Amino acid sequence: MPSVEENPLESLENVKTHALLPFLHQQSATALSRLYTSPSSCLSIFRLLTPVERQIVMNILWLESAIPLSTMAAWVTIDGKKLYERSLETLSQLHILSQYPMKLLLNSTFKSSLRHAITGGGTTGSFGVPATKDPKHSPPTVESLDGYALERWETILHYMVSSGTGQLPTKPSTGVLYLLKESGLMSGSQNFEPQITSEGFQFLLHSPHDQLWELLLQYLHMVERRSMDLVEVISFLLMLSTMELGREYSTENLSQTQKVMLEDLRDYGLIWQRRPSSKRFSPTRLATTLTSSSEGSSLSTLAPTQATGLGNSSSNALTRSKGTGAGIGGGAAGGGAGSGNQQGFIILETNYRVYAYTDNPLQTAVLNLFVSLKYRFPNLVVGSITRESVKKALNNGISSEQIISYLLTHAHPQMRKFNPMIPVTVQDQIRLWELEKNRLKSDSGFLYTSFQSQADYEYVLNYAKELGVVLWENNAKRCFFAHEEGHGNIKSFIERRRTAGQGQ
Amino acid sequence: MDVDSDSDISIFDDDNENSRNKTKGKGKTTDKRKKDKGKRKPKDQAYTWEANYTRSWETVQEDEAGSLQGAVEDWIARGRRKRHAHCFQSKNSAPSTAIRRTIIRHLVLIIDLSSSMMDRDMRPTRFGLTLQYAREFILEWFDQNPLGQMGVVGMRAGVGERVAEMSGNPQDVLKALSDRHKLEPTGDPSLQNAIEMARNSMNHLPTHSAREILIIFGSLTTCDPGNIHDTLAECIKNRIQISVVALAAEMKICRELCDKTGGQFGVALNEGHYKDLLFELVPPPAQRTVSRATGPGAPNPAADLMMMGFPTRLPDSSPPSLCVCHSDLRSDGFLCPRCLSKVCDVPTDCDVCGLMIVSSPHLARSYHHLFPVKPYVAITTFDNQSSQPDQQACHACARPFPTTVAQSTAEGMSPIGRYRCPECQQDFCSDCDVYIQNHLHCCPGCGK
Amino acid sequence: MMDTLCVVIDLSVKHWQRSATASDQPLSLPAFLIQLVAFLNAYSAGSSDNALAVFAAFPGKSLMLYSSTDTQPQSTTVSGPNSYPPFQLLDDAVVSSIIHHLESLSDSEQEAPCPLVGALTKALCFINRLTLDHNTNTSNAEGLDPIALPDPRVLILSVSPDITSSYIPIMNSIFSAQKLKVTIDACQLSGPDSVFLQQAAHLTGGSYLYLERRDALLQHLTMTFLPSPSVRGAIAVPTQDKVDFRAACFCHKNIVDIGFVCSVCLSIFCQPVPVCSTCRTKFPMKTLQRLNASRPPAQPRPAPIGTNGVSKANGSSYGTPA
Repeated sequence: MPSVEENPLESLENVKTHALLPFLHQQSATALSRLYTSPSSCLSIFRLLTPVERQIVMNILWLESAIPLSTMAAWVTIDGKKLYERSLETLSQLHILSQYPMKLLLNSTFKSSLRHAITGGGTTGSFGVPATKDPKHSPPTVESLDGYALERWETILHYMVSSGTGQLPTKPSTGVLYLLKESGLMSGSQNFEPQITSEGFQFLLHSPHDQLWELLLQYLHMVERRSMDLVEVISFLLMLSTMELGREYSTENLSQTQKVMLEDLRDYGLIWQRRPSSKRFSPTRLATTLTSSSEGSSLSTLAPTQATGLGNSSSNALTRSKGTGAGIGGGAAGGGAGSGNQQGFIILETNYRVYAYTDNPLQTAVLNLFVSLKYRFPNLVVGSITRESVKKALNNGISSEQIISYLLTHAHPQMRKFNPMIPVTVQDQIRLWELEKNRLKSDSGFLYTSFQSQADYEYVLNYAKELGVVLWENNAKRCFFAHEEGHGNIKSFIERRRTAGQGQ
Repeated sequence: MDVDSDSDISIFDDDNENSRNKTKGKGKTTDKRKKDKGKRKPKDQAYTWEANYTRSWETVQEDEAGSLQGAVEDWIARGRRKRHAHCFQSKNSAPSTAIRRTIIRHLVLIIDLSSSMMDRDMRPTRFGLTLQYAREFILEWFDQNPLGQMGVVGMRAGVGERVAEMSGNPQDVLKALSDRHKLEPTGDPSLQNAIEMARNSMNHLPTHSAREILIIFGSLTTCDPGNIHDTLAECIKNRIQISVVALAAEMKICRELCDKTGGQFGVALNEGHYKDLLFELVPPPAQRTVSRATGPGAPNPAADLMMMGFPTRLPDSSPPSLCVCHSDLRSDGFLCPRCLSKVCDVPTDCDVCGLMIVSSPHLARSYHHLFPVKPYVAITTFDNQSSQPDQQACHACARPFPTTVAQSTAEGMSPIGRYRCPECQQDFCSDCDVYIQNHLHCCPGCGK
Repeated sequence: MMDTLCVVIDLSVKHWQRSATASDQPLSLPAFLIQLVAFLNAYSAGSSDNALAVFAAFPGKSLMLYSSTDTQPQSTTVSGPNSYPPFQLLDDAVVSSIIHHLESLSDSEQEAPCPLVGALTKALCFINRLTLDHNTNTSNAEGLDPIALPDPRVLILSVSPDITSSYIPIMNSIFSAQKLKVTIDACQLSGPDSVFLQQAAHLTGGSYLYLERRDALLQHLTMTFLPSPSVRGAIAVPTQDKVDFRAACFCHKNIVDIGFVCSVCLSIFCQPVPVCSTCRTKFPMKTLQRLNASRPPAQPRPAPIGTNGVSKANGSSYGTPA
């Protein structure tokens, strides 16, 4: 009768670590301690942890003194042991647990900051100082912010996707271009237009949340090189994620580094400012959802980049999703209302036909990577997955798994009724096409030829076969090809035989 | 044998005529049904191949902004309501006072396992679908009849096969049906053999419990060793109620079995209708004896006073011991209050002293049949009450009420989406109305 | 990983006063609210996708105080730079509406019992609504088997003792919670153990806690009720051993372990009766004679199992009033 799942731990074990955490692992304890002085950073990092890690932190948050490991371990189930220990490990890597593995105690900075975050109070001002009311302008509406973020973000992606096709879409700012090149998503020298790389193609098929973090991580790496203060950069990003959408914040309390960042983040669409010199800024939905769930629902939290096709759904979804605060619903673009569902737009039939309900040029362009498009209607694109189109994608460095996972994550709700969602024939065929590419396997080696006699040839060949390095042989022509591993042995074998022959 | 396979057509002719008329008038309803092939009403539907061509796109209308979302949502909400409508009506027609229902039921489910079950007219096969529905049926049945017991008999190769013993535990019954390879259909069915077997397994039961047989019959023949009418007479004598869900066509003998024992007979038109027919048999039947000509005031032979024991639950941490039902060594269990022997699960009959052991939640689970919620009234116009500030949202789930009036509504539906409890005068939304009446059985406003 | 939590707070003025003036470890309402708010914030801190709703049972009425899906974030309250805006909103909504409603109560109304069941059923309706929305979004609206929300649960914080008249509604709520796959957690903050809540937690796989150390309320709440059911697979929470499944008879409200039950309406009697008092069914004489004969000879029975110590260890002294 109790609603216990078959294997309740499975869902917990499969939780993906957030991309930011490995980056934080690499930082020094002092840097992290500085980061933890801000309650908003603590809160955001807390959110990025897995559910078990969060529970551990909460369990000891209100304790003043360290408790022995055994006290807590008594609460851990037998099945959860591995998970629990892994969680402790992660926490201590992040320096959130300070005395592990002797005792359980939260890092004192982290503890007091997280307490402040939860109970309010303190004087750090880490949740952003709201700007005083502007007498001339009313603050931007949520819709306009969403529109802005969407436009910025899609400009970047659209630029990437069409860089190879000879079209010339609007160029993002030089800062963005530099970042794209630095991160290896695009390549190109001074004189030529940058070209999208195979990593770039793979990037396009990721979920928007992952894409955003991928870029931001690149940004963080770049910041290190630009000798900006990394801690301030991270804490500013995390602060943005706790800000309220549709509210204006003052730039006055920001440090110099953070003011520089404002400009970059404006280019990425995370921040909106009336004028570059303006004393106030507003975070967009891209920024406020940075630390929302890192899986599943992230698609709809960043819905601007997709599902714009279903324009008619927007009005309704908006009214309902508004209430969910920072998290849910893709305002302008009609994401999942209330519960963070993906709203897909692709219908794939067993006959390889693809119907995509979208009028978004970016989505069309991404689809065009692996679908050969046939018709375009105001809200519908029809195409089919063909051998050629998939080959083209494979040549671009996209893998079959990426194609399938893209189709899965963007499947139309109607498709979700089926099990499996993507027709098996199509899935298999896409994989087979990838295998086809791998028909040729290259091995480096040596060709042994012009043997004096058949006997010589066979003698050496037998030896090589014993070594197991023969890749190809031809008796009529008296030559064989052996892997380079065996070359040394074969060579010395032949030489020994030759000297032996000469000696006779 | 009494085989009459042609009579089903005439029975349903009227209904078909009916449905055609209806389809013309109400595009919406048929349209809804096309989408929702799972649930169909037998009243206004035809065979799948007789269904009319409907212009589904004409029923959807854009709003001012050219959006379809509103229309679609409205449509979905309607569908939900409609789906629950029939259980709803049966509730509404019944008086809200305590009614008599047979709560302690014993049912033998007879499943046809003859080769005719391999027909593919229901997808994937009649057999596959039957197994799936049977599982759902068992779960739902035990949920609504917590004190009931159920056994399963299969009809295969001319004999009756006991698939599951009479048991009060849904898991036991489900386990017996879980292995489909053991149940692979073959040969001819024998109604008589199967009914005899079911009858024998219920012979010993006390008089107050209802005895029922439910036959899922896919064949058009039965191959019996004797006269099946004798069996029928025995069943009538033993007050066994037989219901039949036929998958192929009506047979005279099946109709007679049901009519003479007071059961229900139905021929499934399609997958959805099949499920409806089956699930109509889930709720406990209202006490039959009321309608019988026994005269008022006469003691009700089906009613009785039963002795029941309320067990003590042993905690998971108690020392393990053997249970009397399976002789398994386990630490949790229940102690019979009379003989203190340990049983694994309740409700059950104590294997040692025969006392019926139930826990109080099991009894409570049936109370909602006896004390149902008063049906809510659909509000048709805005009145004084609906304009009060605290009545702007559903009293239960706080969903704001629509401020516009829907153009077309079916009977019993509120165009402004409000349903009012006659007792506490609070308004509820359509979803909550359905949920409260069908599942919750308790009004959030008055707490009764 | 999305969670749904509905918190039901018992705000019986009478029993809170009793709790605040208790001789050992008093817990006053303001002190409780501070810790409750910290708990709610800790829950919402877990993920911004966590849905939260707070229901209150005031004397004589029940209300929804806050729901994360309905409240508009653009509220008039301006949050300062030192607090996370959603938390601020939540705290304001819960605390101010509780104060507002308690102040508007007249003295006579304060005595009225708190219909916990009203708040509980509202919570279930709310979860049902979220489930329906969830299914609409995944386009399963027409599907026959609604997909349950991941890990929905209800947490009941109660101070009052059980109200016997609400036995059937509470049981009905428990059963529909089971159907919705809702876990019911319950915490009895003061007063006697609640049999209803024990059963609710037991039947839905939740956890029941009788708060013994009232000064450590927040720590208890965090350890026991913060983890979602899936996390409880890894980090266990306290469970109960002692669940009372005995029933009380309809006629004398005696707790019985062997009772006589009407086969039609399932009313429970402590001795054989000729006519059911609930549904007026007459029982056959034969049965009465048989039952009277088979009844244990000594009346009132000298509680047979109490003597050998089994029920002492496991059964508590409360029955299930009906």
